[in-house]
Amino acid sequence: MVSRVLLRKLRRDLWSRKGSLLTLVVIMAIGIGYYVGSAAVYRDLDGSRHRYYTEYQLADFTVDLKRAPEWAVDTASGLPNVRTVRGRVNMPVLIDLIGVSAPVSGTAISMPVTRTPVLNNILMRSGTWFSGNDNREVILNDAFARENRILPGHRIKVLLLDKQHELLVVGTAMSPEFVYLIPPGGALAPDPARFGVLYLPERFLQESCNLKGAYNQLIGKAHDNSRTALDNTLSLIARKLDAYGVANTTPVHEQMSVRFLADELTGLKVGAVIAPLIFLGVAALVLNILMGRMVTQQRPIIGTLRALGYSRGAITRHFLGFGIVVGISGAVTGILLGWWLQSLMCWMYKMFFALPSIDPHFYPDIFLKAIAISVGFSILGTIRGVRFAARLEPAEAMRPPPPEKGAKILLERIGFLWGKLTFRWKMVLRAIFRNPFRSTVCVLASLIATAIIFMAFSMVDSLNYLINYEFENISRQDFAIALRDPKGRRVTDEVKNIPQISEVEPQLIIACDLRNGPYRKRIGVTGIERGNRLYTPLDDEGRPISLPEHGLVLTKKLAEILNITPGQIVTLRPLVGRRQEVRAAVVGTVETFLGVSAYADISYLSRLIGEEWSANVVLSNKYKGVSTEKVMNALTKRPKVVGIGDRVRSLSQLKKTFGEFMGASIGTMVLFAGLIAFGSVLNAALVSLSEREREVGSLRVLGYTPGQVFGIFSGEAFLLNGIGIVLGVFGGIGLAYALSAAYSTELYRFPTIILPGSIILSVVIMMIFIGIAQLIVYRMIRRLNWLDVLKVKE
Amino acid sequence: MNGTEIRETILSVESVSKIYKMGEVEVPALRDATIDILDGEFLMVVGPSGSGKSTLLNMIGGMDRPTSGTVRFLDQDITKATDHQLTLYRRSKIGFVFQFFNLIPTLTALDNVQVALEITSGTMEPMEALRLVDLEDRAGHFPSQLSGGEQQRAALARALAGNPRLLLCDEPTGALDLENSRQVLGMLVRLKRELGKTVVLITHNNAISALGDRIAMMRDGTIHSIQLNKEPKPVEEIEW
Repeated sequence: MVSRVLLRKLRRDLWSRKGSLLTLVVIMAIGIGYYVGSAAVYRDLDGSRHRYYTEYQLADFTVDLKRAPEWAVDTASGLPNVRTVRGRVNMPVLIDLIGVSAPVSGTAISMPVTRTPVLNNILMRSGTWFSGNDNREVILNDAFARENRILPGHRIKVLLLDKQHELLVVGTAMSPEFVYLIPPGGALAPDPARFGVLYLPERFLQESCNLKGAYNQLIGKAHDNSRTALDNTLSLIARKLDAYGVANTTPVHEQMSVRFLADELTGLKVGAVIAPLIFLGVAALVLNILMGRMVTQQRPIIGTLRALGYSRGAITRHFLGFGIVVGISGAVTGILLGWWLQSLMCWMYKMFFALPSIDPHFYPDIFLKAIAISVGFSILGTIRGVRFAARLEPAEAMRPPPPEKGAKILLERIGFLWGKLTFRWKMVLRAIFRNPFRSTVCVLASLIATAIIFMAFSMVDSLNYLINYEFENISRQDFAIALRDPKGRRVTDEVKNIPQISEVEPQLIIACDLRNGPYRKRIGVTGIERGNRLYTPLDDEGRPISLPEHGLVLTKKLAEILNITPGQIVTLRPLVGRRQEVRAAVVGTVETFLGVSAYADISYLSRLIGEEWSANVVLSNKYKGVSTEKVMNALTKRPKVVGIGDRVRSLSQLKKTFGEFMGASIGTMVLFAGLIAFGSVLNAALVSLSEREREVGSLRVLGYTPGQVFGIFSGEAFLLNGIGIVLGVFGGIGLAYALSAAYSTELYRFPTIILPGSIILSVVIMMIFIGIAQLIVYRMIRRLNWLDVLKVKE
Repeated sequence: MNGTEIRETILSVESVSKIYKMGEVEVPALRDATIDILDGEFLMVVGPSGSGKSTLLNMIGGMDRPTSGTVRFLDQDITKATDHQLTLYRRSKIGFVFQFFNLIPTLTALDNVQVALEITSGTMEPMEALRLVDLEDRAGHFPSQLSGGEQQRAALARALAGNPRLLLCDEPTGALDLENSRQVLGMLVRLKRELGKTVVLITHNNAISALGDRIAMMRDGTIHSIQLNKEPKPVEEIEW
């Protein structure tokens, strides 16, 4: 039974504390909003991904070969655990677009000439499938077509194995294979305008690529597509098809696009737990303080109600109602915030991920869970006060609360120190130590808020450092020209002879299997010419390393994967050329944050593939003032060029993509964390003020100005928050390290960057939030009717 | 009350002691108190502060449990009652009036009466209770808008709402001036006379005790003496 009159009392009690409660509800709403937003977006994204992968039959594995006859498909299909296999041609191309001064890179993939459901099928977005009459038709990757304003009916020029073809665009499409499409060669962000996927009729592509009756890629589905099963199946396939020059095998979970999307979903899942836990936890602690004070204030009322015959249960329900109302308000506001966050995140993901639909859907069960979580936490926050209220014996409740513990605090026992303190600081310290719970919550809230704010800034610093390190310190070239096959020394001269080019540097990148006992990894080993200036791997201290004549230098992550240290021997097997296994010494390690790789002297690496000297990448710099387009044009006209990486463009693309995203998320994090500080500081101060109203009154009677009284009160807040902020900076540094550790994957690693500027900025922001809260307290002290306070009995 | 008339004992306190434990120290608040409360009487409990009056009242009202002894309401031993039975006892048999009124500040006078009514099976309308204390025209006012006397009358209305047999008043005039005190006391006398309520009033003010049918004097936690007051004074003649 709930008493109507008591409900009215509850409503008025709530209203009279609206300021405190509003800040609490906001903190709870942020927690719930995070939960609802992340959980809902997770489902939107996961559902969309699942439907897409299933409907368009994303392959479980990919095998790259040099040249496999069409019947190799049957060989592979017959192997254990293999369900179906499809052969296709996958070839790098250059695309000459009208209106774009330099050709852009792309990948051509063969598709059946008549539309049939195949593995890695494509979803048509506009136009039609190939007509079947004319081979020179192409279906373009939808994002690429949109970015370059290409419509069905347009014609594009495509360079396939040095031969130009004019192709009619018949349609645009998207594929589950390229949800997150990043250009090859170390880019991090998608660049839909400058990297395209072209789907071409199978026969035409085979003929144009000298692969008549053959494929260079097999994709397939497995019965058991668990990680180990796929790895076993792939090594079996690699063995059986070895004669066709297996260059690479990729299980689905290592496929770039699949991994990026999966990583993002994992991040969402973790975020849906951690952020709400922090916000709701702080809210529950603050509510605890508020509730404790309210119960103390209402002791006589509790006593009266009990005297009137209200049961403990009725008292429990009444005070629990306080928490439930706060919880439900937090949940409702949080759900609205969450819905907004969900829409915002869906919109953001649309920029990153090419999924057929990422639309925000309503998930009533998530809403219900959100309400349960919110009410649960707020009950947790009220339970201490409620239990205290319910346990009060009526006679005891009628008596005034026992006087505050007057005992000396620990500090007072240190006589010489205590004696030196001013009266003001003595008051401050006593207040802090006599309310250990409240003081702890205050410190904790500042700590958490500072740590989050610093971590947010440190993420930006880390990303900036990473970008700078990879794109300025290690790579310094303007262009990276990729060649179809390794070439002799003449190729560098050829590039050098282009009038706009000032500097060249050859590289040889060879896919190799590295093995150390049971640890193995397939990577691209980069051969570097001595005296390298355009690409300089750096050691721990940031100094360029000098490559040994023999042996390998590994990136740290690779050394970790292979469980190897410098001085040990690794087994290396190039996947091209003679493909003979050799033993190579690990000479050193270098630090990189993107991918994993190994470096060797270019001549050493050339010899491993049976050549005297060869290169398949030429790094080059242009003369200052020469336009990029001009050089690109000159370069792409060369035969054997399959792609040109433009470092400056990659860099700006990266900054653009992550800049917007980071800016928005850092801003939100700082604001939300600030609200934690603001809310808890304000509430703790208000409770403290309400407890000490008589003290304020007495001081005012003695002639203290509101400012002087505020000075005493703010001393408590500033000391506690000061401690919280200092600890929070350490906490933030800890978080930054934890985050780096958590995000250390083969794809990317984030360096832990602790900049004094970011520490100062975090502290300043915290001081602003705390300052605003203190300003409100000051206003309340000024407005306090202290004469009345003194008249009322305690 | 007529001295010769034999009245039923409505509540009996038998050898009740109460010892409070304050940390290591034991403080005896009530020692071996024995008294019968008779139906329809106006019992005054008088004593200086700290003499155990309030403790006795709490034992009678089921607000606290004695350390030893028995409190019996009619046939019910309330010292053995469960928590729930005590709650029901307070709800249906007892009306409390406190020195500082203890009205809920966020509720109007009418609502404050309603608070008591909602949990009793009584059929009294809240307005009727306010009428009994001449406060119907202030029904919509919040405690802070009422004078001390009015607040105490509202509290009295609240105590009466459940139609209790026993009204327990703890220094009801302690926070009031003479005029308001007279008003409240007059009302208590009237309620006793007209509605047949049994009233127990504790006070440190000897002057007030002249209103009672019997006067129990307390000192140092014991009931020192119980006197019969054959001629209770009318309220108007009370002075202090």
